[in-house]
Amino acid sequence: MSKQALRVFSLLFFLTLLPGFYSVCHSADPIVLGVPTSLGFLEGKEGLACVNLAVDEINAAGGVNVGGTMRPFKVVAIDARGAEPGVPVAEVIKAHKKLILEDGAKFIVFGSFRSEAAIACMDLVSQYKIPMLLGTAMSPEMQKKVTQDYDKYKYTFRVCLNAVYLIKYLGGTMGYLNKKFGFNKVFIMDQDVAWARKTGDLMISMVFEKMGWQVVGRQTYPTGASDFSSGLMKAKAGGAQVILPIFDMPQSGILVKQWNAMKVPALVAGFISPLAGPAAWKTFDEKIEGAINAIFEIGNVPVKKVPKSVDFFEKYEKRYGKPIEAGHSPAPAYEMVYLLKDAIEKARSVDGDAVVTELEKTDRLGAMGRIKFGKDHQVIYGEDPAENAMGCMIQWRQGKRVVVYPESVAEGEIALPEGLKAVK
Amino acid sequence: MLLGTLIYGFVNSCLLALLAMGFNLTFGISGVANFSYGAIYIFSGFAAWIFLNSAGLPYALCVIMAIGLSATLGVLIYHVVIKRVKGLALSEVMATFGLGLAIMELFRYFDFVGFKYTLPNLIEGSVAIGDVYIDYQRIAVILAAIALTGFIYVFTHYTRTGLAFRAIAQDERTALTFGMDSDHIAALSMGFGSALAAAAAVVVLPLGTIAVEGGYDVLLNALAVCIVGGLGSTVGILVASVLIGYAQTITANYLEPHWMMLVSLIAIAIVLCIKPSGIFGHQKELEERI
Repeated sequence: MSKQALRVFSLLFFLTLLPGFYSVCHSADPIVLGVPTSLGFLEGKEGLACVNLAVDEINAAGGVNVGGTMRPFKVVAIDARGAEPGVPVAEVIKAHKKLILEDGAKFIVFGSFRSEAAIACMDLVSQYKIPMLLGTAMSPEMQKKVTQDYDKYKYTFRVCLNAVYLIKYLGGTMGYLNKKFGFNKVFIMDQDVAWARKTGDLMISMVFEKMGWQVVGRQTYPTGASDFSSGLMKAKAGGAQVILPIFDMPQSGILVKQWNAMKVPALVAGFISPLAGPAAWKTFDEKIEGAINAIFEIGNVPVKKVPKSVDFFEKYEKRYGKPIEAGHSPAPAYEMVYLLKDAIEKARSVDGDAVVTELEKTDRLGAMGRIKFGKDHQVIYGEDPAENAMGCMIQWRQGKRVVVYPESVAEGEIALPEGLKAVK
Repeated sequence: MLLGTLIYGFVNSCLLALLAMGFNLTFGISGVANFSYGAIYIFSGFAAWIFLNSAGLPYALCVIMAIGLSATLGVLIYHVVIKRVKGLALSEVMATFGLGLAIMELFRYFDFVGFKYTLPNLIEGSVAIGDVYIDYQRIAVILAAIALTGFIYVFTHYTRTGLAFRAIAQDERTALTFGMDSDHIAALSMGFGSALAAAAAVVVLPLGTIAVEGGYDVLLNALAVCIVGGLGSTVGILVASVLIGYAQTITANYLEPHWMMLVSLIAIAIVLCIKPSGIFGHQKELEERI
């Protein structure tokens, strides 16, 4: 073979391989998922871990099929510290902007920790047409904005529970306590953040006033507070039978320890973030017996009647060597990556508008139950895991978390801790 | 409610006194600016937690080791950082504050976040005073505050080392002419102050969780008590702790807890306007008048 013929043959050979090289290079072009959350808070830390878990599973299975090209997900996380006291909303917006403009994020996953910042970021993601899926922020203001100006705010979705659905679970629990034990006097202790204040307000207007309960008092604590004696003394003085706590800060677990030490004769039933996970029993010196706590999304706690929640919980433990401790966010964080994958594959593109259209059609059976978005871009929560996503209430008994509400997934009934008596 | 306010106000006052004690000893009495005080407090808490949970040592030993380690850290900070900028007040403040930030953020970086970082109570259980229950740990806070206040008063008034702590703050050159090694004394003062921060940490932290952000609150509270009471005055610290402690508790009980954080700041503002050296502060009083 002459040198000339060899050159021509080599050229043809490389030209033949070129599309293959292009394909390989192109398939390696990752789809960047920006995660701007508060990693100093348990929900943020475990939420990011769940995003990574889902991304690794998807990438190990070949990635995301974008119009015939397999592309992996790539996670770029920023500790935006939005959950911490004193961190201004502008800092969180900056973190979102950096992810979009510098890191090339095509999607914002998990989003800002606090509603105050998440709502402010809705304008930003709308400006760049970047779909954003929220996993922690709970204020219903987000849905209001989507409904009022759909074209502008359609890029924002929420996969986790919101304050209104939380009220339904808490309200149902209060109804249960009234029916079974005759309780009708409550003292509310909440955190001075948008979602908790809103939840407290709505509990009064949507639950207690309608059910004829007496709200004997309400005390709001700043984020970071660790002495709850004033509220507990007021609850005792006011004759409260139930204390409704609404907190997501790490220090709030101390409330139950103080409740135990001060022997306040009222049942604690609400949401205290540190009380959700299995480590709480040991952490709080076994002094949380009888406390009832909301788990915002099942999967964060394994629910026997929803096998996928058990699978997810075990998968997490196997991967990270420790169980999920947060009662809010991990399951939605995991599921939202799969929702995006499905939407991108159906849209055959990473274009924001096309993906939004497909996200709206979501119908997936996952760790949280059946996941579907409402017209306001909020995942619909209910009481039947075959029909809707679900949260639940657990009660601490002898170091174990027993699912006590809703009835559809309950594994036991609510029992009063020692020293408390029914009033009927 | 009134009895509860009186009891928990007293506990809060003792807690503030306990938090401010070490800061007052180092900055107030010896004149060594240690704005990494909050970080040392958090460091002590995490050290005790690690000894207890990772090394599995008995708690009493963990407490002693945490106090010893914090004292060593204080001495090291003096020799490595403060000594180089000594005499330049602003540089001392900036250097130690920056170092404190670095220590606290390192804990955050190494994932020391979450509610699992708690220390066990020294004594379990609670007791009723009238119809108000108070846990033994809070009683331990009261006892520790009384004991440490007494110790510091005696130490700084009746021991050679304690008197030397005060001497280098009053006039370093004169102290040198009397044969006192001011660097040695200042390093010791940092060690003592850090040990007191650690002692406060192991008594106070079982009431809450060990959180990195807690370091900022400790520094702010210690600063507020020292400014209001007067830097260097042990009696001033006690009076300021009682004033701020009760003001905070009354605010929480009769107004709203989220106003509590304003109490310290308002107290600082008022004292700085009326008597900048603090209620019992004498060190700079003459200069202020001139």
